[in-house]
Amino acid sequence: MRKLLVIILLVACGLLSACGGGDDRIKVSIGMWPEEILTKDVEMFRSWEENFEKDYPQYDIVPDHYTYSPDTVIAKATANQLPVVFQTYFTEPKKLIANGFIRDITAELQELGWYDKMDPMMRETLSADGKIYGVPRDGYGLGLFLNLEMLYDVGVIEKNSDGTYRLHDDSGNPLYPTTFDDIRRVSELIVENIDYTYGIVILSANKNGGWQFSNMAWNFGCKNLQVYRDGKWEANLNDPGAVRALEWIQTMRQEELISSDASLSYNDWYLKIGSKQVAMAFCGSDALSLPVTNYNFPLDQFAFVPMPTGDGESRYSLYGGTPYVFSANATDEQVKGALLFLKYMGRSPEVDDISVDAMELGFKTAQEKGMPILPTIKAWADPDYLEVANELEEKYINVNMDYFKDFFDTINEMKKPEEPNYCQDMYALLDNAIQSILSNPNAVAQSELTTANAQFQKNFLSKINK
Amino acid sequence: MENSLPSKIIDRTSSSYKIKKFLRKNLGGWLIMLPGLALFTFFVWKPLFQNIILSFSHTMGMKAVGFAGFENYKSVFQDVFFIDALVNTFKYLFWSIIIGFFIPIILGILLSEVVHFRGFFRLGIYFPSIVSGMAVAIMWSYLFDPNPGAVLNQLLARLGFKYSGFLSNPKLTIPLIILTMTWRGAGATALIYLSSLQNISNSQYEAARIDGANWFNRLRFVTFPHLMPTIKLLFILQVISVFQVFYEPMVMTGGGPNGASVSLLLLSYNYYQQMELSKSAAVAVILSLIIIVLTVIYLRLSNPNKREAKNV
Repeated sequence: MRKLLVIILLVACGLLSACGGGDDRIKVSIGMWPEEILTKDVEMFRSWEENFEKDYPQYDIVPDHYTYSPDTVIAKATANQLPVVFQTYFTEPKKLIANGFIRDITAELQELGWYDKMDPMMRETLSADGKIYGVPRDGYGLGLFLNLEMLYDVGVIEKNSDGTYRLHDDSGNPLYPTTFDDIRRVSELIVENIDYTYGIVILSANKNGGWQFSNMAWNFGCKNLQVYRDGKWEANLNDPGAVRALEWIQTMRQEELISSDASLSYNDWYLKIGSKQVAMAFCGSDALSLPVTNYNFPLDQFAFVPMPTGDGESRYSLYGGTPYVFSANATDEQVKGALLFLKYMGRSPEVDDISVDAMELGFKTAQEKGMPILPTIKAWADPDYLEVANELEEKYINVNMDYFKDFFDTINEMKKPEEPNYCQDMYALLDNAIQSILSNPNAVAQSELTTANAQFQKNFLSKINK
Repeated sequence: MENSLPSKIIDRTSSSYKIKKFLRKNLGGWLIMLPGLALFTFFVWKPLFQNIILSFSHTMGMKAVGFAGFENYKSVFQDVFFIDALVNTFKYLFWSIIIGFFIPIILGILLSEVVHFRGFFRLGIYFPSIVSGMAVAIMWSYLFDPNPGAVLNQLLARLGFKYSGFLSNPKLTIPLIILTMTWRGAGATALIYLSSLQNISNSQYEAARIDGANWFNRLRFVTFPHLMPTIKLLFILQVISVFQVFYEPMVMTGGGPNGASVSLLLLSYNYYQQMELSKSAAVAVILSLIIIVLTVIYLRLSNPNKREAKNV
């Protein structure tokens, strides 16, 4: 009996202390917190958290593992479960704003003095009606990933005396493919000389096909896939440049230089590259570590070069990125706390000791994980920030920059932001056109794109033209 | 012995008596059912009604922000993808009857005929049902890889056939998805048929044998009449489940190539992803109506006796 009484008293005390011992600190949930199995990343975040909470004891950082996806964000937002800050893609903020899922942070950014330091192109992407709704983490440009060993094996590139690959001839001209015709030529060599391989992987599903195709269309001479004319948005998916790009895919398929698989998405490019099923792939500059971390692809066996041109003149690199956005239910104080935490993560334009230490910790962690450390496309345009960030980057770069130089030297001239309206939905329709070309040898590129164009105009652009 | 008389005469017609009697009789039952009812209300009925409301509303996120009348339905009917999805859903139904309906019946009959290792065969046939549906879909999508170096294409090449595009061939996509679903589900259905078959008395087979019935006639005049109620029930369940086909095309093809395998439920999910909740809800309502109508038609057609009895 006495035992029972003691147990009851203990439970009661526990309940009372749980109810009464409230923590009145401001809770800031961080949606990009890494999963527990990523021990090195978690360690890094814990260190940033510790530093932050020491300087700002009024805040309580709450880990929240949330990977954004369009289907989970609706449920999360409705249930008021969105973290205070989370990552998304550059194509998403407009939809999130329209549905009331994220909030305006203009005042907070201006108070911190970060607003004017932001990369102007990124700021525009994250803005609506003169208000800004996010902070860019970093950007990416689309380019061409090359398996150097395979290209060397078929005689496209050469080797230096020290065993490194030579990507330019003696006059400095690239030996790697710089046009879509070159890609076709190199693919022929790959297919002829290496069993069960293709030259390049062409994505066609999960909106990833359309995403990469839009860049291909620009490089075949299409200025824009959406045109603003007489106060209205018009779909331009069947522009002659886009048709030529789709015809190029069709020719590649007819000549069996690419797979007929019509369900390839972004996970597949690094699977195919990692398992040496293809020699080339289009991908973002922020994803170069994926074959390394997932398939142990050797750091010295790949290069990343600018997107090829289709018409000999148009050279664009689709420019996107990852922004941090803030839940519509977050208070001003929570937003301010989350923004300050970004500084402790080294993701702000600040260049004081705290930021520099945080950036260094990021590089050291990447180094320990064996990830390739390469230049990044910066979110902030402030000269002081750029100087410090570039200096740090140079210190930690662990790849042969000869293999990446051309891309990073030209990205600022080549970069072109994604199309402005219903971008993901447009990509889904372009996916269908690519799938049709891959699966049906008799499909007509012009008519496939005309169908996609009509659907995009009717189902999407007509909504904003009302 | 003294008879004890009731001190008060009970009025059995009074409402208080009836309520007390009702409570005494049913209260326990209702109390037991209450948690289940609460869960049903919360997880089934509320979302169901909320879905119907959303389909007639303008939405912001998941909130209804104004009455839209039939606007969402009109917009769904005008969407070319809806027509594709509707046609595809009937294609799924067609192929599921061709491939998926008869295989479990055949398996059930074969299992009932097996004398040795019956347990082994039962387990073997049921085994794919244990595997998670998502894992099955992923596994088969790897097997159906259209590349020349992939498993099935290598097998085809060794047998002297041409490489196949498998899921990338729009004509093969739906039959192959149905094949995958059948591979996973046939075993469980076959066991239901097997249990029905085991209820058939041996004496009926013996009587048929004495009457000179051969194997086929025994199947026709003894086995099938007994199996018929199970066949009818499982047919309806199959129609309902095939109309709800979703994750197999989502994982294996994403609805492609070019919408060749998109189903109504996948279309509803696509609208949801585009944050067009009201259109997503409208597709779900349309799908429910189609299933209800088909079920009623089927029940009417398959129960002629009931209709005749009513007419009499």
